[in-house]
Amino acid sequence: MKLYVYCLVDNTQTLPESLHGILGVLVRRLEIGDFSFLVSDFSDRTVPVTRENALAHAAVIQSVLKETTPLPFRFGTLVNGQQLENYVSARSEALRSKLEQVRGCVEMNVKIISDRDWMEEPQASETQAKPGTAFLSEKRREILGGEARAARAKQVAEWLKDQVAPVAKQTQIETLPTGKMLVTAAHLIEYERVEEFRKRVTEARHQRVDLHFLLSGPWAPYSFAHMDLEFETHFGVS
Amino acid sequence: MAFSPEPPHPAEPEIETAHPEEFVEQLRLVADSLPSRINIDAQGVEQGLAKLVLTLIEFIRRLLEKQAVRRMEGGDLSPEQIEELGLALMRLEAKLQELKTQFGLADEDLNLDLGPIGRLI
Repeated sequence: MKLYVYCLVDNTQTLPESLHGILGVLVRRLEIGDFSFLVSDFSDRTVPVTRENALAHAAVIQSVLKETTPLPFRFGTLVNGQQLENYVSARSEALRSKLEQVRGCVEMNVKIISDRDWMEEPQASETQAKPGTAFLSEKRREILGGEARAARAKQVAEWLKDQVAPVAKQTQIETLPTGKMLVTAAHLIEYERVEEFRKRVTEARHQRVDLHFLLSGPWAPYSFAHMDLEFETHFGVS
Repeated sequence: MAFSPEPPHPAEPEIETAHPEEFVEQLRLVADSLPSRINIDAQGVEQGLAKLVLTLIEFIRRLLEKQAVRRMEGGDLSPEQIEELGLALMRLEAKLQELKTQFGLADEDLNLDLGPIGRLI
């Protein structure tokens, strides 16, 4: 029998009772040293990636977030008790420090889309060229368009970082290489500053009407936990 | 460990956007391009290996394209050489497309997550 791990909290916290997780199994608290892991029993070898399972995983973590800031594990983390004990004994200082870092905080996410077409229109001479030359001309426009897009994504990422810097305890910004989405950003925000953060993003949106924004949260600090470094994540596609 | 008690956190998460359909479409694209685990079983191993090999070929193909475009822009190729190079790269792209279809792979499958360095393509 394996254990499905949802998240880690410190032992002093009160947690919600009668939580049900993956496959409807009751979630229990497993105390190891100074820490508590929220786990449920799991008999299979892999965790099917289904909407229900993903929502069940998120729901357990979100329930805990109402009481305290957990360190969430990645979806599909299966371990045995001995592995968890070894994990805590080897990393207790790092875990304590990580818990302290996210304490009282939540994650707020911002995603930004640009509708702009980054490829230039072909010139008349290019459309009348021989097939090989036309192919290379199109590749040239694709490459130049990609470079222009990457430069804009970098500029938007820097701009967003500046806009929310006064309220963000930590920020992780990623620029995406293709598609309309330019930037995806996760911010670690003290919960009493969430409304201030929302206000700042709303003001920022009004400055950039050329961009489309999605603001979401509060979430558990998924992007700041990095809890699965020593475990394989076992899941299969179903 | 002794910590001061925390007041309750904000309750339910909210999602705010004026363009929900656009974000759903883009998030689907991002989700499709996330790396999936390769299952080492008799059926999956062939496709896993094909994916790895074709990803490397795709990476090299893109480098060749960039190099060809730079040389074309630099003016050190004659029109005939440009045409010949373009045709060769066009055929390479078509061949790779054929192999992807044969192994049931999509464009977004041809990538490698290199951890902290980022993605290969």
